[in-house]
Formats: sequence, C-alpha cells, structure tokens
Amino acid sequence: MTKRSLTLLAGLLVMAVVGGCGRPAPAATLDPPTSTAGSGAAKTLTLPGDDWGYPSPFAFYSRGPGYIRMSLLFDTLTWKDEDGVIPWLADEWEVSDDGTEWTFTLHAGVLWHDGEPLTAEDVAFTFEYFKANQGAFKWSWPVNKIESTQVLDEQTVVLNLTEPVAGAHEGLIGSLPIIPKHIWEGVDDPTRLRSEKAVVGSGPFKLLDYSKEEGRYVYEANTDYFRGEPTVDELTFIKVENQALALETDTTDYASFWGREIDAVEAFRNKEGYGVIDGPSFWVLQTIFNTQKPPFDDAELRRAVAHAIDRQRIVAQVTHGGAIVASLGILSPFTDWHNPDLPVYEHDPERAQAMLEKAEAADLSLRLITTAGFAREAELIQDDLEAVGIEVEVQTGDYSTIDGLLREGTFDLAINGHGGIANPAMLETPTWPAQTYENAAYDELYREQAATVEEEQRRELVWELQEIVAEDLPVLTLYHPKMWTVYDASVLDSWFYTQSGVGFGIPISMNKLIFLP
Amino acid sequence: MNDTGAKIAQYTVTVVVLLTLNFFLPRMMPGDPLSYLLGEPSADAPMLLTEEMRANLLAYYGLDKPLLGQYWDYLGGLARGDLGWSIYYNAPVGSIIMGRLRWTLLLGGTAAVIYIALGIGLGAVSAWRRGSKSDVGLLLTVFSLGSWPPFFLGMVLIVFFSYQWGLFPIGGAQSAQAARIGGLRQVQDVAYHWVLPGLTLVLTYLPGIYLITRNSMLSVLGEDYVRTARSKGVLESLVLLRHALPNALLPIVTTVAMRFGFMIMGTMFVEVVFAYPGMGTLIYEAGAARDYPLLQGAFLVTMIFVLALNLAADLVYGWLDPRVGRERA
Repeated sequence: MTKRSLTLLAGLLVMAVVGGCGRPAPAATLDPPTSTAGSGAAKTLTLPGDDWGYPSPFAFYSRGPGYIRMSLLFDTLTWKDEDGVIPWLADEWEVSDDGTEWTFTLHAGVLWHDGEPLTAEDVAFTFEYFKANQGAFKWSWPVNKIESTQVLDEQTVVLNLTEPVAGAHEGLIGSLPIIPKHIWEGVDDPTRLRSEKAVVGSGPFKLLDYSKEEGRYVYEANTDYFRGEPTVDELTFIKVENQALALETDTTDYASFWGREIDAVEAFRNKEGYGVIDGPSFWVLQTIFNTQKPPFDDAELRRAVAHAIDRQRIVAQVTHGGAIVASLGILSPFTDWHNPDLPVYEHDPERAQAMLEKAEAADLSLRLITTAGFAREAELIQDDLEAVGIEVEVQTGDYSTIDGLLREGTFDLAINGHGGIANPAMLETPTWPAQTYENAAYDELYREQAATVEEEQRRELVWELQEIVAEDLPVLTLYHPKMWTVYDASVLDSWFYTQSGVGFGIPISMNKLIFLP
Repeated sequence: MNDTGAKIAQYTVTVVVLLTLNFFLPRMMPGDPLSYLLGEPSADAPMLLTEEMRANLLAYYGLDKPLLGQYWDYLGGLARGDLGWSIYYNAPVGSIIMGRLRWTLLLGGTAAVIYIALGIGLGAVSAWRRGSKSDVGLLLTVFSLGSWPPFFLGMVLIVFFSYQWGLFPIGGAQSAQAARIGGLRQVQDVAYHWVLPGLTLVLTYLPGIYLITRNSMLSVLGEDYVRTARSKGVLESLVLLRHALPNALLPIVTTVAMRFGFMIMGTMFVEVVFAYPGMGTLIYEAGAARDYPLLQGAFLVTMIFVLALNLAADLVYGWLDPRVGRERA
C-alpha cells in the first residue's frame, strides 16, 4: 500500500463521515479559541501545510509552498495581485528600448527586520550575490542573465541584463527576494546559513518558530511594514494529513483542493460559514510520445492516437469532473498566453483505425509508463488504444523511476504531469522531462520569443509555438485539474488567486497581500 | 574472550557490508536526486529545472564525480562523523535524523513498553486461565483487533475521538502554542497528542506479543517442574511468576528485540495518518526522492539500532538461559 493510496483512503473515509453526518461538535483543544472578534484581541490564523524547509532565500525546498513561506519574510521589487504586476519595493521602474537595462526607484523608508534601512545598495548586492551563487539554489530564476548593477543614489538602482529577457518581470524582478547586504556579505555558502540572521528580511512577517520535523512555522506581524500593518497578528502553518478534516474540526482556517478532491469541495459549498473560491489551473497531465523511435516518430500515428483517446471520458471518470480537458498547446487556458484557436482531434476510433491502416501500422504493441497515481488514466488509455488495435502494456513505477526512464528515452508512451503552464517558458521542452522531441524550427521560434520583450509580439510567437505542439503532437495533453480554496469566512475572507500565480507562477492562493490591509 | 572477539569481528563485517550496500543500492535505483526536487506531480510545484541548472546542481552535490570517488567521500565523511547534507531537505542529515528519531522513540518507544508489558501480562493470565471465560474473551478481542489494518484503525479513532466527540486532536505531535510555552504545558500537550497514535500502535502490536506469550506459557505450564512446584504446595501466583514466566519469556525476548528494531519503520502508517513526525515517513520520502545522503544516514541509524538490539537480545538470552552461555564456554 503506497502512501498516496493510503491518503486517498483516509480521505474517502473522512468524506463519507463528513457527508453523512450532521454538524458535529467542534474539536476540543487545550487552548481557548484565539481567533478574531473583539478589538484588541490578537488575530491568529492557522493554515495547513508541511515542512517546506527553513524559509531563508536559500534553504527552502524548491517548490511553491516553500517559496510562499519565504515570501512572507522577504520582498521583491515588484509583486502581483489578482490583476497583474504591481509596484512593491520599487515604486517605479523603466526599461530601455532593447530590454536590457532596468532602472528602479525604490520606496523610501523601508526597514529590514533588524531596523537597518533597505537601500539601493542592498538591491544591487542581491542581484550580484544570486549571480555569484547559482549552484546554491534550485529555483529557476534566470540569474545567469544578470550582467551588472549600478547604484545611482540611495533609492535608484540600475540592473543590466546580458540580453533581453522576456518575462523578466515574473522570473527575475517579481520573484527574486531582496536580501540585506549587511548580513549576506561574506557568507560563502548561503544554503548553510541557518541562524536567525538568515531570515531577516523586509517582509510583512517575522519568523517566530520553525520546526522541520513537525512542519511548523509561526510568524508574527511586522507592525512597521511599509505597505501597512498586517491584518493578522500571528500566522501559523501546521502539518496536516487531511485538509478537509482539519478545516471541518476548526484545526485550521483554510484548505486547498485540486482535481478529484472536488467531492470535498462540494460538501463545503453546502455548509454554512465556509467560503469557496474557484481557482485557475496551472497544471497539465499529458501523454508523451517518444518521437525518436518507431512507431511514434511518425506524426500521423500520433494524430491517430489523439483521435483514439477519449479525453472527455478520462476527465469524467477519473477526476469526477474536477478537471477540464486540456489545451493541446500545453499552456493553461487561464492565462493570456493561451492560444484558444488550436486544431481539434475529435474522439473518433474509426478514423483512428483508418489512419493506422493507411500508415501500415497494424498490430502495434507498446509500453506505456507512468506513476501509480495515474494508473487509472493509463487503464482508460489502454482501453481506448486496444479498441483501435494497439496492444498496450502499462508499467508503473515511483516518480523518480519514471523521471529516470523519460530522461533516458526508454519508453514508447508515458503519462506525466507538471505545473508551470501559466508561463511560456514551459514550452522550451514540451515533452519535459523527456528530451526526445527534436524540431529545429520550433527551438528557433522558442529562442525568438524568449528574447522578445514586447508583450504583443511575444504573444504571437507563443501562440505559434502552441500551434506547432498541437499539430505535431510531441505530447497529447489530457487534462488540467481545477483548484479550489475553501476557508472559514469568520476568520479571514480576503483570499484570492493571483494572476498567473504568485511569483514565477505558483498557483496556490497564498499571496501575502491577503494578510495586508 | 575469544568468543567476544569473534562476536565483535562478526558484527564489524556485518557493518562494513551493510555500509557498502547502503551506498551502492540507492544509486542503482533509476532516477536521481534531482528528479523529485521540482518534478513530483502536485499542483504547487510550478518550477522546472533547465538542463543547465541540473548540471550545476549535480556538480554542487558532487554527483558528477565517479562513483568510487563518491564512495570514498562518503566513507571519509562517516569517519569524521559527518553524515552529509540532504539534497531534498537542504539541511544536515544528522540533524534531520535526530529531529525525527526523538519523536519515533517517544511515540514508538512508549507504545512498545505498554504493549509489551500488557501483552506479556495478558498472555500469562490467559494461559493460566486457559479455557475460562476471561481467556476466551481476551483471545477473541485480541484476534479481532489484530485483523484490522493498522492505518484503518487509526482513521477510525480519528473519526470518533477527534471528529465526532472532539476529545483529541486530529494529528501532530504538539500544538504550536505549547511548543513555544514549553515546560509542563508542553509535556501535557505532547502527552495529549500522543494518545491516539499511541493507542493505535498499542492496539496493533499487542496481539502479537499476547499470542506468543500465551503459547509459550501454555507449553511451559505443561512441564514437569511446574507440576512439581504446584504439588509441593507453592502458591499459585508464585508458580506463575517464579517458575513459569521466566522460562516462557525466552522466545518472547527475541520477538521483542525484533519488534524494537523494526519500530523505526513500524510507526510509519501512524505517522502518515496522524501527521506525526518520525523516521518511517522520512525513510519513505528519502527513498522516493532518491536523496542518497539522507537514505544512507537513515539506513545507518536503523542498522545500528537493529544490530544493537540484536546484541542486547543475545546478552539477555544468555542471562535468562544459562545453558546458552555454557554451550559456548
């Protein structure tokens, strides 16, 4: 029994109880409830989580929640809200016409948590420091494109890039945490600095307590915060196995769900006192074809498979409607980068069969690899393909095994999923993590858009890339799981989803703006 | 003396072989430590590694060196008492393991003491009263408890004791407030959080000890020396405690030592269900993430634990049963 199926079982059991019973008595705790109400009373918020690493800019785990924990302590030059980029540490900025020179005017009077002023020197130092320590963090900030910095005065700093970087706003300027020079100067290996100094930032919260093994973080409000005093005095993240149960028992005040967890969300929709927000989907599950060897080196066969697979059925049967059929161009329909006008392959087994016969590819026998979590999807695909005469053997392994096989290219067909699809940078390797797709024209087009700073021009190129993916089909996308935020409305109701995700594209609804006035 | 020397040599060879396996086995699994960093399917992992960054990171962790060189570094580190740096957890392996091991020992250790004592006590009573109502009742209860999948038992406890009746927390090892206040408050809070996961472990492992004790006692009770003691008019309770139980304990010692040894992994299901920190989930995650330094460190600690308990069982056995020592002399 794997951990995943164990969790699933636990979820089912709890859901059965949650759905079947009336509202139970709230769980007793040793502590009196300390939430909300009454002026003067400290407002505390408890969020579900796990260990995502020490929240210093170099020690958090390279996953979305790790970045979020860190972003409560550190600020960036720009940030994002529901509608897009907003000024943050920088009040204003200017970009040269060729897109390589950025000039920032910093907000005056910002202080570090230790009382020192945050100046242009710190910003310049930050860029230089990240550039010099590229091996020390596992986060895809394009810091290798940083050329130099100049401090013009206390509040003005210039950043020179080696070449124009499309999306620099999200990948570099809007997500690189500005760190204090007086602390990091002289630190040789930033990942190993674990003292309290490593979490001195300028952000809306200060770190009170962190326990790695228990997955606990406690933050207190930074009452001197330059964008206003936080509305929450204390923010606690605790490790939780079942988010629905934790929210239901008032153990936490928030829960996040996705995909087939839709059943839990529907149960909360009908309950009083809870708010539900429908989120975007920045994740895709896809079928990867090995285009380097027969049979799928032939694009016509890939298209035949696209006609054979009933994607709608997968969404309905596997996710219970907790997903949408994916865009064939990979990028999420919830971003402006998405091309809505792509070729369609209707589910048509007869046509698929005819195409297979025409390509003289009868009696194919294939190996489909995936992780145990997608065994059900694999089964349906096996079913669909057998209906058109393709024999499929499904092989499952743990994630690292599948990743290894994909990287080596030892597969015919694979099912794999990934996030990041709010950002065109994801199109660099459509078959990621496999490196099997070779298309020189596509790569050329990718490089062109990556250096196109003007948004409209870039969008045209990004749309073209999606057309190639949808026509040439190195991958057949399956679905985008939906996401939801469910919260206790009596504690805090300012939750929202950030446009194209927090920072580089983290899809969860935990933006520090939620805790600010 | 020679005997002890042979024993030490035997244990040393075992350790060296295990250390070597420990190094090479994880590296033979497909995939590498970078697979899991950014890739595991979940809605919250938006970042992907470029090939350039992959290469940078492999170099940073010394994973681009030849395998033998890495093996040498590993042995050198061990000699200095340095277990290395975890790639996934981005922290020293030693401190990660110590952080988790404390909780495993607290949860699994206390539970083990309880189920072993209770199992031996109930097993002895059951055997003594063989065929009586209390024996049959115990046997039935224990059999039905033993047939529950442990994680399911944990979930059932949560559903009733936490969700329905609100008596205990749904999980975790302590509350955030208690952890900061410390002192007696923290002790109380940790005990309060221990109840459901501890109870799950006790109920899960009690049947094994109970049944072994009962069987072992039954065979001992049929022996001549017990009948002799009884016929001499020795008090029934003294017969049980002085004559029968010590002899019945022999096979139990081995079982108990093994149980303790596997405690490190044995609490895993409880850790998952109750979001309780511990070694079981750590080892599981380290394996899934191909976090070589952490896997090596965790296996090393488990190994030392198992070997130490084996040694202890050997010694206790010799002490309980003088024949063992005499044969060797």
